[in-house]
Amino acid sequence: MKPPPFDYSAPDTLEEALFLLGEAGDEARPLAGGQSLVPLLSLRLARPSRLVDLAGITTLTTLGAADGHLAVGAMVRERQAERDERVRRLAPVLADALPLIGHPAIRSRGTIGGSLSHADPAAELPAVALVLEAELVAESRARGRRSIPAADFFTGYFTTALAPDELLTTLRVPSSAPGTGWAVDEVARRHGDFAIVGAAAMVRLDTSTGRIDEARVALAGVGDTPVRLAETEQMLAGAEPADEAFADAAEDAATRLSPAADVHGSAAYRRHVAGVLARRTLKLAAQRAREAA
Amino acid sequence: MQHIAERYTGASVRRSEDPRILTGSGRYVDDVRLPGMLHAAFVRSPVAHARITRIDVREAAKAPGVVLVLTGEELERSLVPGPGIAAMFSGGAPVPAFTTLATGKVRVVGDPVVLVVAESRYLAEDACELVEVDYEELPAVMTPQAARDPASPAIFEDLGSNVLVRSPVAVFGDVDGAFARADRIVRADLRQHRHQNAPMECRGVVCSFDPESGELTVHSATQGVHIVRTTLSTALGLPPEKVRVLAGDIGGSFGLKLGAYREDVACAAASRQLSRPVRWMEDRLENLTFSGQAREESFEVAAAVTNEGEILGLRVKMTIDTGAYPGMGTMLPELVKTMIPGPYKIGALSFEWTAVVTNKAAYVAYRGPWASETWVRERMVDLIAMELGMEPIQVRLRNVATRETPPRRMVTGRSLAGVTAKESLEAIASTVDLPSFRRLQAGAREHGRYLGLGMATYIEPAPGPLEGKGGGGIMGPEQIRLRLAEDGTVTLFTSQMPHGQSHQTTFAQIAADEFGVPIEQVRVVVGDSDLVPMGFGTGGSRAATMAGGASLHGARALKARVKEIASHLFEAGAEDIELSGGSVAVRGVPASAMSLAELARAARSPGRLPPSLAGDVEVTAAFDGGEGGWSGGSHAAIVEVDVETGQVRVERYVVAEDCGILINPAIVEGQVRGGVAQGIGAVLLERSVYDEETGQYLSSTFMDYVLATACEIPRIEIEHLETVPLDADVNFRGVGEGGMIIAPPTLCNAIEDALSPFGARVLEQHLPPARILELIGAIPAG
Amino acid sequence: MTCFDVELTVNGAPRRGSVEARRTLADFLREDLGLTGTHLGCEHGVCGACTVLVDGEPARSCLMLAVQARGADVRTVEGLAPDGEMNRLQEAMWDSHGFQCGFCTPGFLMQITALLAENPGPTEAEVREALSGNICRCTGYESIVNGVLLAADAAGSDE
Repeated sequence: MKPPPFDYSAPDTLEEALFLLGEAGDEARPLAGGQSLVPLLSLRLARPSRLVDLAGITTLTTLGAADGHLAVGAMVRERQAERDERVRRLAPVLADALPLIGHPAIRSRGTIGGSLSHADPAAELPAVALVLEAELVAESRARGRRSIPAADFFTGYFTTALAPDELLTTLRVPSSAPGTGWAVDEVARRHGDFAIVGAAAMVRLDTSTGRIDEARVALAGVGDTPVRLAETEQMLAGAEPADEAFADAAEDAATRLSPAADVHGSAAYRRHVAGVLARRTLKLAAQRAREAA
Repeated sequence: MQHIAERYTGASVRRSEDPRILTGSGRYVDDVRLPGMLHAAFVRSPVAHARITRIDVREAAKAPGVVLVLTGEELERSLVPGPGIAAMFSGGAPVPAFTTLATGKVRVVGDPVVLVVAESRYLAEDACELVEVDYEELPAVMTPQAARDPASPAIFEDLGSNVLVRSPVAVFGDVDGAFARADRIVRADLRQHRHQNAPMECRGVVCSFDPESGELTVHSATQGVHIVRTTLSTALGLPPEKVRVLAGDIGGSFGLKLGAYREDVACAAASRQLSRPVRWMEDRLENLTFSGQAREESFEVAAAVTNEGEILGLRVKMTIDTGAYPGMGTMLPELVKTMIPGPYKIGALSFEWTAVVTNKAAYVAYRGPWASETWVRERMVDLIAMELGMEPIQVRLRNVATRETPPRRMVTGRSLAGVTAKESLEAIASTVDLPSFRRLQAGAREHGRYLGLGMATYIEPAPGPLEGKGGGGIMGPEQIRLRLAEDGTVTLFTSQMPHGQSHQTTFAQIAADEFGVPIEQVRVVVGDSDLVPMGFGTGGSRAATMAGGASLHGARALKARVKEIASHLFEAGAEDIELSGGSVAVRGVPASAMSLAELARAARSPGRLPPSLAGDVEVTAAFDGGEGGWSGGSHAAIVEVDVETGQVRVERYVVAEDCGILINPAIVEGQVRGGVAQGIGAVLLERSVYDEETGQYLSSTFMDYVLATACEIPRIEIEHLETVPLDADVNFRGVGEGGMIIAPPTLCNAIEDALSPFGARVLEQHLPPARILELIGAIPAG
Repeated sequence: MTCFDVELTVNGAPRRGSVEARRTLADFLREDLGLTGTHLGCEHGVCGACTVLVDGEPARSCLMLAVQARGADVRTVEGLAPDGEMNRLQEAMWDSHGFQCGFCTPGFLMQITALLAENPGPTEAEVREALSGNICRCTGYESIVNGVLLAADAAGSDE
């Protein structure tokens, strides 16, 4: 289990990195934290001609807040984000999701941008980006800078809207209105494993009527990409935030899914647990929304 | 906080292994560096069952850093044909013909086909990718049902069939009478799933052949150096004395690292051919895919019971899936047969078994290899209790043999002397407070929370009653050698090959007490086939009794020898010699004191002693197990099942164990806890999964073969019953396997209890979340 | 294949080597620097045996390339007792009979070192969560958890 040979570059600037990726075509791969890529190399399941190491690009390691927006550089380590008070305050669901990723020694190397770009459908951050309606800022020499809504970013199994010569530079999380609650939960074989099924939910309550203004729920582990449940969300808009409403919505959610089976759980199991977690996270989000209101 | 005790035995003495292990200075096989050392990698079969139609190694041989490429046919020319280690554990079953590297056919995913030796492992793996092998695929035979089908293609042509053994029906007691007398017959088809040892250190070997001397030196991660020596010298056609096997620290094994494997033979042959050291370290992919798996057995059981819960008899049909290549699969059913009554007064048993070959990894020994007898019996007890509406512990207490009442033997003939099943069951029932648990459980259910309590009991031959069979169980007596070194330390040479069991501490405790020196003055030498006495090595939970007993008797003999020498030197009677504090003296004459170092030097000085005593102060001793005896105990688990997600949480785990006298309580408890953790993992997490259509192996990484972490294993409460001394001196018994034997039924019983409102019956051992939801009918069976 | 110069600090001392880009940090430490205390249990980032500290943070050395560690401050198990005197954590593990076969031990010790640096008085639940990425096949974890709690207590009582 030793990686195959490849070339390696460690540019200091984003421009240089984009140049290298543009030159090499799709045989080159960016190297962020390496926590998913290096095992694929060791198993010889990935065979890049060149790795472009992004660790030296200091502009990608900034984490900042402005106008209620949170901007997380792609090379911010997950452990760093997890410890950051601004993440906790402005994107509590992200703060709650980060400790579910792997283990401390994984998160101290793994990056926000790496996890999103890797687009593992069972990973936590892609589902969280969806439920946050985050913007993913990308840059390339050919296309310049563009902002991709999370809903358009995850296009398939381990596949994103990023072109081979394009890099994710920033995760932008919009501010949330008062009366908003968030929740994330997952079922995994063990603590720290990829989710068999994960769910992230948001509920915003109308502060005058107490009814649901907006609900969002996104799931991991139930398809080729993280899944946002638009129909379920519509069912809840305007409803009373009662247990029955969440149960009905979750049941609706489960019936719409066609997950694949693997050694950790059958399709029927994933569908069932998706419903359970959708209900649990929506209910908890609503409770938090009431507390926040 | 070193515990200072009058005796070391019985105290949780700190381990002498730890200073090296805690500082990174242990020496494992992967740490061996020899000048000119080369690195091996294997081209392995990507398919389960196929004919090899072409192998082309030309590109690989030209690749950078490559020194040698060997196909199976080329390698075979330098080897002596034969089954190797396979015959040793076959239990007399037919052993099919196969070669060290696959020739003609591959029989399992991961089957080694070509050996590549290069200047680094990186380069060896690069070259492996350049080897071209063409396969003509055959249908993969992946289940016992498929293997039984006469139309299935024979995996080994010389066997002619994929059914390896169909045993006669063994009958003990009046089985027909028991079933005729029974009020009810409780039937169940029970399945154990395939899972595996997965020690943290994979297998590995460094072979170094010296053409000058014709000697092969082998550094091996192994449970016993002499079995490795035997297998390698046989395969290479070398005299045993020309093969020296060394073993350093071993990173766990749990039964896997017994003897030399096919890869080891290939590396030894390559080293001989190249006259350079060749190292192979198995990687995790190879380990999980190929090195060995265990436990895949199924049982059709019928129990004859009375309405009062008495178990009159059992009828058992066992099927074992031995995988592709011979391992231990055909040896175990007879052990299961003998042990299945356990500590119970079951009066009749019929037992028959079938062993089949499939295109899966070989069935190997795994911690308590015969454990299915406990799982099947303890599962049946709970199913009987459910059928009768009784508390399971009532059924157990009604049927276990006690020390006061006959019978004193299992119906299969084994003595039950010293068994304390009743005592340990009563201990756990009292600790968990059964009545108050039932109240708690009822209350929780009203709030949609599903708690369950499971119990189980077992005995383990560690080594088991002697019964005049030559001693030492199936592996024979244990030898030991002790020497008083010239610096006054006692050096103890043992064939035991510890791989986590702390023998270098425990044997030193025993010898220090018996000989009368501080423990720091006892050195335990392991892992050198030229130095340690011939023996099987570590396995079968035999070290405590067998090697512990040998240490005690050896230290006693050494002490007698020292006194005899001192009596010559002092011209005093041996009975007047005192040995204490590292010196000998004539009783009452402190001025006569002579240090042990001086005595050892004097013994070696020419002319000081008669020839019978002169020279090295050294004794050998052997121990046959003495009065032997069982270890065993009872465990209880309390679980909570989330019936929405199928997740099981072990809330409490209680152990009452009896391994006789504790040599080192902390080490005993470590063995118990480690075994229980593996048992919990087996039920909740670990399974070796094959695609039954294609034969592909689906659990080849630690992402898919999931081991328990600190978040899944609870604190384990342990009570020790040191109940029945049977032997005059040696009453410590083995405890290495018990936890792994009994935790699976304990946990399965607890889960079934938690799910009883759903009417779920647990007939399999592996209960991952998805399966829990299937059992309660929340989702359709997958 | 191109080789890259790697200069870094290991256990306080400057070290250097020349490696292919594909060489893992674990292999660099073990094979090139002879620091065999760091063990490889899976080489795909799950078992945690190869955990070392990189700039004070725990990292899987099998999931890092040696070239990624250029300029880094790396600590391995050999650095815990530089003068042969076991440190407080090692003593606590010895007292607690923390480990058995010793193969997972270096990874645990480094992960625990990182934990106690950040959280000197962890609860049992925090200890278990922090160690959940390190697999021990021998002990059932209780003795290791006890060792961490004992080390934390010992540190606390020194203050």
